[in-house]
Amino acid sequence: MTERGKAGVPDDELIRATLGGDEGAFRELVERYKGRAFGVAVGIVGDGDDAMDVVQDSFVKAYYKLKEFRFGANFYTWFYRLLVNQAIDRWRKSSRSSEVRFDESWLSEDASPPDSFAYPKTPEDLASSRELGDALQRAIAALPEHHRAVILLREVEGMAYEEIAKALDCSVGTVMSRLHYARGKLKEALGKHREG
Amino acid sequence: MDCRTARKRIEEKVDGLLPREAEGELAAHLAACPACASESEGMSAVGPMLAAFVGARAAEKAPRLDAMWTRVRAGIEERREAERRPSWIPRWAWLPAALALAVLALLFYPTGTARSPFNPRSFEVSFEDVESDTATVALVDKGEDLPRVIWIIEDGKT
Repeated sequence: MTERGKAGVPDDELIRATLGGDEGAFRELVERYKGRAFGVAVGIVGDGDDAMDVVQDSFVKAYYKLKEFRFGANFYTWFYRLLVNQAIDRWRKSSRSSEVRFDESWLSEDASPPDSFAYPKTPEDLASSRELGDALQRAIAALPEHHRAVILLREVEGMAYEEIAKALDCSVGTVMSRLHYARGKLKEALGKHREG
Repeated sequence: MDCRTARKRIEEKVDGLLPREAEGELAAHLAACPACASESEGMSAVGPMLAAFVGARAAEKAPRLDAMWTRVRAGIEERREAERRPSWIPRWAWLPAALALAVLALLFYPTGTARSPFNPRSFEVSFEDVESDTATVALVDKGEDLPRVIWIIEDGKT
């Protein structure tokens, strides 16, 4: 397989080629997923340099675990499992990690809707307001790490509930409840910013 | 539609899972209920804002991502080297060393106590690999009522 010819090659073929000793095939997988992986990693660990290390370590781990990959499954779902675990480990070891109080009232369906006010709606609002970005960052950092992973995989990666459940090794119901909690917390942060 | 149902429907709508036939009913509720309308607005804002936030963070480091393959390749090589490099003490050498230590421990076991003498027929030594592939665990079980000794040998260090 030539370097130029790898661009449109399906993941499964690249994995087979890698297992056959073609390192260039694995390079193509790295090039294909490094940007998305970095987006997820930076969302979980919160720091760009740590996220770079997490992505690197995850790809190295994936290279050596590739023989365990089950053909027919999605490579990125399989890879994201390694990535998210690596990112969560890094987050726990980092000084930024702190005890997070889990507000279970968000899991209750009886939680009352908030009072009416306007939310920032667009990415442009974010670009124009450093405070909004800071508020969002604090809200993301305050989420329990698995909740953070769920909302990033859903909202940034656009993964389906089932894919997230596979990637995080949990049930679809757990994904839904974590998503509900995380969305609620981020919405609250955006609302507080608007009020403040 | 009550507010509780509306909130469920709002999340379904945000996820693109709201059945088409429920759209009209939800829209009617939102038009009449400012609190649910605000909830809908807030929930809908989270995804695009989060994606924009993460995108902006990722863009800051994007040029450094160009070197990712170089970093990954270096990591692969480093691990390969580490696996190829022979340890200055072969792994199997820990077995007789652990046995010798166990025997020494038995020889110098305090005799002036009220404990019954140690019966060597009841002691076993077993080795188990742990997850890291670089550590060896030796369990020395001297039988009931006697302490169990656990040796953890990792990367040539005990």
